[in-house]
Amino acid sequence: MTKRAARLFFFLSTLASALIFTVLTIDSHRQFPKLTNAAAIDEHVIAGKHVWHRENCTNCHTLLGEGAYYAPDLTKITAQRGAPYLREFLKDPSKFYSEARDGRLMPTLKLTDQEIDDVIAFLGWISRIDTQGWPPRPILVRGSAVPGAATALGVPAPQAASQDPIELGRAAYNATPPGCAACHSVAPGVNIVGPTLAGLPATAAARIASPDYKGKAKDAAGYIRESIVEPNAHVLTGPTYAAGGRSLMPGDYGETLKPEQIEQIVAYLLTLR
Amino acid sequence: MRFRSQRVAYPYFAVALLLFGLQMVFGLLAAAKYLGPDPLLNVLPFDVVKAIHTNLLLVWLLTGFMGAAYYLVPEESRVELHSVRLAYVQLGIWTAMGVTAVVGYVFRWTAGNKLLEQPFPLKLVIVIVMLMFLYNLGMTIRAAGRFTTTEGVLVGGLACTALLYLPALFEFDNYTVAVFYRWWTVHLWVEGVWEMIQGALLAFLLIRLSGVDREVLEKWLYVIVGLTFISGVLGTAHHYYWIGVPRYWLPIGGFFSALEPLVFLGMAMYAYYAIRRSGLAHPNRMALHWTIGSAIFSALGAGLLGLAHTWPAVNKWTHGTLITPMHGHMAFFGAYVMIVLGMITYALPGLTGRSEDSRETAANFWSFWLQISGMFGMTMAFAAAGITQTYLERILGIGYLDTQLKLQVHFLMLVVAGILFTAGVALFLWDFFFLAGRPVAVPEREGLAAARSPAV
Repeated sequence: MTKRAARLFFFLSTLASALIFTVLTIDSHRQFPKLTNAAAIDEHVIAGKHVWHRENCTNCHTLLGEGAYYAPDLTKITAQRGAPYLREFLKDPSKFYSEARDGRLMPTLKLTDQEIDDVIAFLGWISRIDTQGWPPRPILVRGSAVPGAATALGVPAPQAASQDPIELGRAAYNATPPGCAACHSVAPGVNIVGPTLAGLPATAAARIASPDYKGKAKDAAGYIRESIVEPNAHVLTGPTYAAGGRSLMPGDYGETLKPEQIEQIVAYLLTLR
Repeated sequence: MRFRSQRVAYPYFAVALLLFGLQMVFGLLAAAKYLGPDPLLNVLPFDVVKAIHTNLLLVWLLTGFMGAAYYLVPEESRVELHSVRLAYVQLGIWTAMGVTAVVGYVFRWTAGNKLLEQPFPLKLVIVIVMLMFLYNLGMTIRAAGRFTTTEGVLVGGLACTALLYLPALFEFDNYTVAVFYRWWTVHLWVEGVWEMIQGALLAFLLIRLSGVDREVLEKWLYVIVGLTFISGVLGTAHHYYWIGVPRYWLPIGGFFSALEPLVFLGMAMYAYYAIRRSGLAHPNRMALHWTIGSAIFSALGAGLLGLAHTWPAVNKWTHGTLITPMHGHMAFFGAYVMIVLGMITYALPGLTGRSEDSRETAANFWSFWLQISGMFGMTMAFAAAGITQTYLERILGIGYLDTQLKLQVHFLMLVVAGILFTAGVALFLWDFFFLAGRPVAVPEREGLAAARSPAV
């Protein structure tokens, strides 16, 4: 390649890129009103945007995922928290969060009630922009959306909320030992190692009624009890369920669990309709 | 230094380095705030510190570019600068603007628009300064009648920098539209026209340091800048994900920003070629360190780490996490900080009245390695924090604040690496202000310069 050819490559490629970019920019402008719900931009939204800029919010928070990474994203915050909460929060964030507990705290901005309403209107408008499905799952400010994940964050495992047998059964099911939840999910279609227990009462009834059934149970509760204490009474086929006609589930729950615990777990599993 | 007026680069470099030092103070402060609790919460909160940290970066880099241009243009055009006095006035106004902006931020005077926080009156000052600067360069080149490709790319990059600042002067009621045009300035600066500046400075330094054939390097400079614009202009699309713009920006952003590493790969190959041709023979070995370092670190930071989260399917999960500063820190350092420090290291012996060939100080050497290690450590800390944040917060759905508490160990590493980096910066400043000596007015080869200058 000669220097002349290189220069030509530079000019032509720059020109072509700039041209395509300009055309797409014009087309984007055509679509902005619909995508951003621009008709809803009223004087409150605009006033709220001024508050947003004046208070330099973007240098801690992200909005539409853009800004700084020191505070939570606020794209969907009005959908998550609602105006009454946000109003109280903006008056005094220290009523809701503390540096001791959360590591960070937002300074009190000393906004007027009108400014607070405006900035909430602005954030409300933002939350309705078409973001092409982003965020793919909600970004939470605090807390855990995954069962059990809070335990990993140093929070003690959940205890039974009451002495109700079903509630005690649920707690036992999720505790380790016995570790039921480690192999059986309660979500439909999720087979971890053992089959999912979602919809178990109906499944159990269907199994008993089937001519293939080899156990002694007469009803769903009996089937569940039998499966816990005597996994080999009726063996399901499946690569991770059984081998050589023997179930892979531990066979000693009859000894390690107390009889009332087994009844509680059965009561809980019967609720998974 | 061959021309008397090149000396004006010295005060530009001095101001740039002082602001660089100040940027470190605010960077460390910001990193410390990640560890919390924050005793300065109601005096100097994070948002102020962060705005100052990033604005100082932009201002000092631009100051460095200006100094570099005032050093390079007379030498390339073989003529004295059009007006030294104008250059000093320009520096005075520019510095006053920078200081006013920083003090203003402390007292909450801000436009609150990321990286473009400068209040409107200061934005006008920036435009005026850029015009003064371009006028001075333009008149110099006009008087000389000699215009090399290298300086053409440099001046072109600087002129486009001024031009692309103009969208920042407008205000839009629609936040999405405002964000759309904010990237015309920010993205097209750092992934477009500033790469022209980097490429030109790299070409200048490689020509001087390796003595390789100018025609060959300048030919490839065109190719690199051409690639920059193919990937950079349409690559703006990678900022147009998830912000309320049409869907077609997603595949465009993915495809064209995947080409961006080519530019940096090109620059690294460029440097490698120059070394292959002539070896590492130049006596100013530290200038060579910074120059080659810039080519390599920008390939890593801007090229590779940018690519790491630019694909839409990945960015969907990483958008707005600490993955961004991971890429941002190393990219700015490699592409722009190192090239400016390389230019300063190259020009300094001449500016302080020594032989251009005769300098290698231990301070500059250690500054180089401390900055390299510090920046590497910071990038790793941000990467570990960013990946963990993406997984815990975005994929598992654990709350933002709970996740941040889990990242403390990475923030600790960030602070430690930041201290290493700052030590490197301090050494560079010490070398520049205390070891290199005072600037001189008399060029090294006075007679040669006079013979070449059409003004005489």
